[in-house]
Amino acid sequence: MQHHSHLVHRVWEQQMYHKITMAMHHTLILLIHMVMELQDTRVTIIAIRSSSSSSLTILAISSSLTTPAISRNLTTPAISSSLITPAISSSLIIPAISSSLIPATSSSLIPATSSSTLTLPIHNLWEHIKTQTAGGYPSSGYSNQTTTWSDGSYANYTPHQYANYTPDSSTSAYSSGTVTAPSSHYQQQQYKQWADYYSQTEVSCAPGTENMTVASKSNVGCPIPGVSSGYSTSTSQAPPSYTPSWMPESSSSEFSSVQPAAGISSASDAYWQHGAPSSQIHITSPMQPQSQKPLDPKTTYDSFLDQQKAAYSQGHNLQYPATHQVPQSYQSPANQQVPQSYQSPAQIVPSSDTRRVSKLQIPTNPRIASNLTFGLPKTDKDSSTAGAAVKPAYISVSQPKANEKVLSNDAADSMLKPGTFPKSLRGYVERALVRCKGDMQMEACQDFMKEMITKATADGTLYTRDWDTEPLFPLPNVDAVNKDLQSSTPGSSLPKYKRSPSRRSKSRWEPLPEEKFVDKSASVMSDTMKYGGWINANDKDRKPFFGNNGNKENNMSGMKFSPLDQKNASKNAQRPVKKQRYADGFNVADNCDASSDSDKEQSLTAYYSSAITLANTPEEKKRRENRSKRFEKRQGRTESNQFKPKNAGAGNLYSRRASALVLSKTFEDGAARAVEDIDWDSLTVKGTCQEIEKRYLRLTSAPDPASVRPEEVLEKALDMVHNSQKNYLYKCDQLKSIRQDLTVQRIRNWLTVKVYETHARLALEVGDLFEYNQCQSQLKTLYAEGIEGCHMEFSAYNLLCVILHSNNYRDLLSSMSRLSDEAKKDETVKHALAVRAAVTSENYVMFFRLYKTAPYLSTCLMDLYVEKMRYKAVSCMSRSYRPTIPVSYVAQVLGFITARPRNEGSDEKDSDGLGECVDWLKAHGACLIADNNGEMQLDTKASCASLFVPEPEDAVAHGDANLAVNDFLTRTSL
Amino acid sequence: MAAYPGMSMGEAHRRITEYLNRFSDAVSNQDAASLRFLLSLSSNSPFLLSLADALNIFQDSGRLIKHSDHYSQYSDILFNLFRSLQTYRLGNLFDSYQAFEKSANAFIQEFRNWESAWALEALYALAYEIRVLAERADRDLASNGKSPEKLKAAGSFLMKVFGVLAGKGPKRVGALYVTCQLFKVYFKLGTVHLCRSVIRSIETARIFDFEEFPKRDKVTYMYYTGRLEVFNENFPAADNKLSYALTHCNPRREANIRMILKYLIPVKLSIGILPKDWLLEKYNLVEYRDVVQALRRGDLRLLRRALQEHEDRFLRSGVFLVLEKLELQVYQRLVKKIYIIQKQKDPTKAHQVKLEVIVKALKWLEMDMDVDEVECIMSILIYKNLVKGYFAHKSKVVVLSKQDPFPKLNGKPVNS
Repeated sequence: MQHHSHLVHRVWEQQMYHKITMAMHHTLILLIHMVMELQDTRVTIIAIRSSSSSSLTILAISSSLTTPAISRNLTTPAISSSLITPAISSSLIIPAISSSLIPATSSSLIPATSSSTLTLPIHNLWEHIKTQTAGGYPSSGYSNQTTTWSDGSYANYTPHQYANYTPDSSTSAYSSGTVTAPSSHYQQQQYKQWADYYSQTEVSCAPGTENMTVASKSNVGCPIPGVSSGYSTSTSQAPPSYTPSWMPESSSSEFSSVQPAAGISSASDAYWQHGAPSSQIHITSPMQPQSQKPLDPKTTYDSFLDQQKAAYSQGHNLQYPATHQVPQSYQSPANQQVPQSYQSPAQIVPSSDTRRVSKLQIPTNPRIASNLTFGLPKTDKDSSTAGAAVKPAYISVSQPKANEKVLSNDAADSMLKPGTFPKSLRGYVERALVRCKGDMQMEACQDFMKEMITKATADGTLYTRDWDTEPLFPLPNVDAVNKDLQSSTPGSSLPKYKRSPSRRSKSRWEPLPEEKFVDKSASVMSDTMKYGGWINANDKDRKPFFGNNGNKENNMSGMKFSPLDQKNASKNAQRPVKKQRYADGFNVADNCDASSDSDKEQSLTAYYSSAITLANTPEEKKRRENRSKRFEKRQGRTESNQFKPKNAGAGNLYSRRASALVLSKTFEDGAARAVEDIDWDSLTVKGTCQEIEKRYLRLTSAPDPASVRPEEVLEKALDMVHNSQKNYLYKCDQLKSIRQDLTVQRIRNWLTVKVYETHARLALEVGDLFEYNQCQSQLKTLYAEGIEGCHMEFSAYNLLCVILHSNNYRDLLSSMSRLSDEAKKDETVKHALAVRAAVTSENYVMFFRLYKTAPYLSTCLMDLYVEKMRYKAVSCMSRSYRPTIPVSYVAQVLGFITARPRNEGSDEKDSDGLGECVDWLKAHGACLIADNNGEMQLDTKASCASLFVPEPEDAVAHGDANLAVNDFLTRTSL
Repeated sequence: MAAYPGMSMGEAHRRITEYLNRFSDAVSNQDAASLRFLLSLSSNSPFLLSLADALNIFQDSGRLIKHSDHYSQYSDILFNLFRSLQTYRLGNLFDSYQAFEKSANAFIQEFRNWESAWALEALYALAYEIRVLAERADRDLASNGKSPEKLKAAGSFLMKVFGVLAGKGPKRVGALYVTCQLFKVYFKLGTVHLCRSVIRSIETARIFDFEEFPKRDKVTYMYYTGRLEVFNENFPAADNKLSYALTHCNPRREANIRMILKYLIPVKLSIGILPKDWLLEKYNLVEYRDVVQALRRGDLRLLRRALQEHEDRFLRSGVFLVLEKLELQVYQRLVKKIYIIQKQKDPTKAHQVKLEVIVKALKWLEMDMDVDEVECIMSILIYKNLVKGYFAHKSKVVVLSKQDPFPKLNGKPVNS
């Protein structure tokens, strides 16, 4: 059963993993895992960030025992963490670690004790960080970024937690840290407070984070030292009990749940449970270089570098804290061993990486702060209690569990967001696993299924596929699988997981397909949301986040979040995301890269492989080179971006246009001119295109004569449109292209007028006022130039348009005063003026008479006003008539009946019109009654109060019912 | 040089330095009146005209300005002002405007730095000059077939001036003058909607009581805002503002009174208040005479004729639609007359007016309207509360209320 559950978890995990990748790209980071392994000692820190208020929470910090089994377990998380880390700000992790770990350092180095184990890795880590920072980047860059970020995030935390503390003793640790930190003053104070706080509460991590957030500049580092002091005491007490207690727990069922989240590979799980030593894993872990059995220095260094990059490249915050802490760690004797070996390499590293890091820092900061506040308190409590020696074992165990569980929850959560992880899938997984004999096979199976699920997720078939009927895959040949794995991941024993971290870092900084993740951002967001909500809820309740409660919840699996939590989550959801985005956008260069990255459509697999190779030094070098070339690249990219769409469009749709575009492109390239700057005079083309039909495409560059039709062809095209049976959208498209060709060739003559008139009429017929107005304004100038046309007709339309649709007194006056005497004699114009009079006097009888006798397309314009006029009329009538009006009269007066009722031979029509009128009246709330003769009457007194304007039935969101979906589709398919 | 034979080089030099001295004296003495005189380009004062001539002879005025410490700090003002004068004299209004705007810009820079508001008068002159120059430049531009845009530029410049004045402090008194200049620009340009922001800043500001502005500006302001209310068909407000303008304007300025009445009369008519004939005669507003007559008599034909006759004028001034809406009141008057006649004949049946009677009456007025149309009009009259009562469709009779069947508007607009 355990296995099964593992697998299920695995599935979750996978999803989570998926999410994470996406998140990384999006800088929405859900989880932070950090595992540090040093030799035998391992510290796992799992941080999960909740996005509730744009902040991350570190859910758990687990320090693991020396035992190989544990290490195994931890390693897996580590890998996953490394994946996550780049996306998530490294800073988060570090503070967390620092708090828990630092104490250890101070207390003792001995691996046997849990505390001691912690120290070693930490130191190394810190050192690295420190070195990086030191080598690093101009501080100015930081401060800017930090400030921007700081605003949102810290607001939340500060109030509750800080308030109480008095500046305190533990500051000594600080000073060292402070030196490195740019903004010493501020930080120091804060540190003190924190230190105090820590010592009291024994919270390790939280304070550090808080500080970071509060201080706009790199505060991160400072708090940690303070923490450490408090911590150290606790740790020292606890140590002995740690290891043993942990072990038993790990094997327990609870663990299984943990595993999926933390452990990525089945192998790792197995290790965990069995306690098998995991020597291979070490390589992956960032801490390795520090390991006491140093391999050759070079390799370690390299690997270290790589790892660091993976882990840290994104979060600069890490580095900061590192800086502060490092000094401390140095002072402690324990550290001295490791650090030295480290330092030299580390220092070399920084310059290259630092820059990257610095950029990233900002986004991470707020989250970190948040994380600390929410997540850490619990940890602190736990750790403190543990440290106090009550039940050290328990605590240590519970912590990692909690973390892992949270992770799993998170993963599950993320998956579940859209729905739940399909039950059928779980069943499927279980069925598949039952068949397995032996761990190896089981592992292979799990791997296989993982891939399957990943694929399904990617396909989007995860939820649609019927897992119940899905045939089980043949049992894999274990050896083969192993081989595959190994071959695919040359450098590392844990190929996939390992890749992911590097992938992240890469995705961030190198041209890699970012776009893929974009669409998934939604799910990521949701995930975050949930998380945040959860955490918040916890916070409210003051329940320890990953205390016992947490465990219970976790055991129940991620789906079982209480509805309340979810609600909260959803509330909180949006803000953090936005911030993240903002952070992303903050760095222009980054963006540029990202966008350009998206240009390269690489498959995920390619992605992976590249990531793997990344781990190698040569690749890293390349990366650096790339980075240095970024500017050149960007230029190139922007260019390509510019032309891409054009080319694509051309290629797809209009092959002939393509050539034109190419031409224009070369033109543009040469002159480096914007489209607006193009001298259209010199570009007035003589078209040579002989095709009559042409789709409209808005010009984005100089037109190509080969794609422009000369006047005679345009004439034919106009005829074609006239005679075409196709719908308005087609005609509109054609006419627009004709108009364009005319404009481009600067043809302004009768043909131009005719085209515009044709288009205006067509537009009127379908009520497309937008196109109509365009044509009308063109016609105005064309007529003004003295070109013959149906001037009167269109000035009448213009008048009607102003009267009926703009309803602007001044516009009406000015267009009326502009009418020439000659125009006023024109029948159409007269009609329009009469309509105006009817409208201004609200004379509905007159209006509907004019409506019936409207010349040309005036009817169409009036159509659009009929409803309004009718309503006005009926409200007027119901006010002034008593006791009733025959509906037939209303129908006649309001134009429902086209012919006068007394006319003969129109009975049918009349009854139709009457029915329509009745319907209309009813729809508008009128009271209808039948009189003695059975004739319908409008009860005016009753109607007077009950009339209303109903919502138009054909209302559409975009406000233009003419742009119905079907029409739109036909248009696009043209 | 030959163009100005009457002036020697020395004379030109003397005149220029005289101007410069007067300018710097005016500034240092805070003599706004003199300054105003020196800036009033379009006043065509002999002093400025001869200065312009002198400038055309003595081309190197810039050196003169820079030469002395007295003027050099105003060099931006003076240099451009001279150029403006020069080109103005030569009839090149476009260039003259350009230079004047630069000069004015420099002036408001200085003005900003002066703590007291002593130079307001000069600033008024500037605001006025720039508007007038812009109008003339636009006329030139239009006649040359170019697009007139200087008035627009003047508008935005005046907006800047308004910004300088609109703040808290002693200079705020001047804001209304500039506002009025802006109104003139906007009304001329037909961009009346731009007035709104200025109006808001004048009317909503608590820091300055409207009554503290100079009377002259208040009247102008009320006149323009009243016209805006006419556009908005907000007749009571228009009535208020225009009446304010009328009661506060200088009674000897008949042209101004006429301008106000031109809008006030239609507004008053639309709220049921008719002017005396002598008023129309006195201010030569005879175009309204027939309209008023039609209202008195209920003579629809007369109203329509009057509207037709003066359509252009009414359209241009923007009161056409206001007057056209008087039709309903004319109908009301007509029905009332019928009612009175019926009452004289038979008081018991007077409150029932048969539709055919009204149709017949309209026929006499040569208004060819059928029963449906008249019925509709009666319905509208009742709806708009110009007639109290109801219409019985079956019997085609307007049944009038026995109490006050024709309520007077009494200063209230017709319900719409």
